[in-house]
Amino acid sequence: MEASQAPARLAVCECLTAFGGTRDTLAAMLRGERALRLVPALGNEGGDDAPMALLSGRSLDEQSPPAWLAPLRRFLAPVCGPGWGTARHPVIVTSSNFGVGSLHAYRRAHALPATAETAAAHARYGPIHKSVAVLHDACGWGANITVFSHACVSAHLGLVHAGRLLALQDNHGRALVDEVLVVSYDFLSPFVAGGFNSLKILNAEFPAPYMDRPASAIGLGDGAAYAVLARDRGEFQIAAQSLHNEMHHFTANQPDGSGFVAAFAPIVRAAAGMRVWVKGHGTGTLEAGRLESAAVAAAFPGAPLVSWKGALGHTLGSCGLVELAIAAASMRKTAADSPSLTPGTVGSSAPVFTPEVATAPFDNRAFDGIVCASNAFGGAHAALLLRHA
Amino acid sequence: MLERLIQTIRTDDAGSEDIAATRERLKAAFPPGAARRMTQLGMLMSAIIGELGPRSDDAIIYATQFGEGRTLENYLESFPTPSPTGFQSSIHPGAVQQGMIRRAQPVGEFFPMADGGCLAGHSILAAFLSPAPCVLLCGGEERGSWLTSIDSASSRAYAYGMILLPKDNAASALQPAGSIVMEPDAAEATPLPPGDWFDLLHARKNFSGVIAPGWRTTLSWR
Repeated sequence: MEASQAPARLAVCECLTAFGGTRDTLAAMLRGERALRLVPALGNEGGDDAPMALLSGRSLDEQSPPAWLAPLRRFLAPVCGPGWGTARHPVIVTSSNFGVGSLHAYRRAHALPATAETAAAHARYGPIHKSVAVLHDACGWGANITVFSHACVSAHLGLVHAGRLLALQDNHGRALVDEVLVVSYDFLSPFVAGGFNSLKILNAEFPAPYMDRPASAIGLGDGAAYAVLARDRGEFQIAAQSLHNEMHHFTANQPDGSGFVAAFAPIVRAAAGMRVWVKGHGTGTLEAGRLESAAVAAAFPGAPLVSWKGALGHTLGSCGLVELAIAAASMRKTAADSPSLTPGTVGSSAPVFTPEVATAPFDNRAFDGIVCASNAFGGAHAALLLRHA
Repeated sequence: MLERLIQTIRTDDAGSEDIAATRERLKAAFPPGAARRMTQLGMLMSAIIGELGPRSDDAIIYATQFGEGRTLENYLESFPTPSPTGFQSSIHPGAVQQGMIRRAQPVGEFFPMADGGCLAGHSILAAFLSPAPCVLLCGGEERGSWLTSIDSASSRAYAYGMILLPKDNAASALQPAGSIVMEPDAAEATPLPPGDWFDLLHARKNFSGVIAPGWRTTLSWR
């Protein structure tokens, strides 16, 4: 039995954002639209206004059942059913938030004796294993569900592990896994927005990733996505993946940018001879934006760099998969004489940190690969190289 | 068949110990003042990581059902003025990062895993699939209080860590403590709660069972 890694194909990849599904999200971003609106960070309890992009009709305060559950179930309909979650068709679930909004709602309701029943209702959706169980029940999957939670690189871990599962063979060289479903979901709540606000990285400004301006600003967004990874079907392949954890500081990168360099190094080797553009992490914080854009310019000279968190907000643990779905959709082959457009860095304008930062949509037909990168607490980095199969 | 040897293992069954007692018991493992800022699970994991000494090219697979349960309670209690440090340590499983950041030691692969009944089996499989020759497979829980009543925090504290090496690794010739084998098995999986997995490791008990769908796991001690 062996587990040598071969490129995995991206058979399906779709996302759900405040704009809607993948197609609607891509179209809105190409129009330069921003889904972010100012919302009190503590929901009904008030607090400072901060930019957030919530699913249509959803409020920040959690309900029971969670208001995001039904739209998530509808979004996942193409990958529901007992065919997934088996030994040969495993499911990987990733998130940073899971059901933390329900835990916050439980705590609030529990403080008031008159709402004890309400509190109990929230408790069913709170911890990670219950949140995943609710999703499992809603989707009718089997029990083979692996769960990763590594803040904002969570979805990348799912993609890496999926590739490794696909490579598993028995002693006769027969594959043990046919296809892998990776699902990621992160929905906002006062738990998350209040936490980021307490870290002083949320304010009433809208994010402008990679823009050279006086102050940082980030936005947060609801997001979910799924991908089916396969060996032999799909327009795109994940040609390489890379992980690196700086372990320098909980909320800061190594000041010399060495973490970005280490994460990009395997991708640079895999992309040798290719013309790539880069979908960066770009939350809108100045220090990390400077480090990332400089590292991208050095690793992939001349490659356009975009971030989409100025439009979608930061979809946290799901951002890697949400943004991968948009990147892949923008690269789908079109008629030879029609442009194939990739959204620019919505919300940003000159001056930007490097000349490669694309603030407007660009025609991607000149490129044959995409580098998608994400970062997280603890100086965690993840990157992948997507190309046509 | 997938197999790795357990070169070294450390376990800490803190049980119902509170955070102050854990801090006092483990204070020698940390620089003066450092433990004051750590979570209980962060201290337990950090002490074990310090003993096992992972290198930058090792992979770390970290399994926890609830993560820092007590820290999560503190964070929820801090509303409407949420605590920034409570947020960092409760939004994701951060106990390993507390130890590694203190050591200022980068690492390539770090896979924090969560969930319940299949967590042990899935974390072993993740360790076996890592291309890193040396894998630190670790895990643990922090003892909660009011969140335990709604099955949202652990009722006990514990931590474990083991260095797994390939069978053909030269270093594995040095008296391994045991081995873990995974082989395909179509029998229905029987969940093994994370605490029960810890008990097997802590007591060095042999075990064989299908604890992740499609895979039989056999734990053997020398």
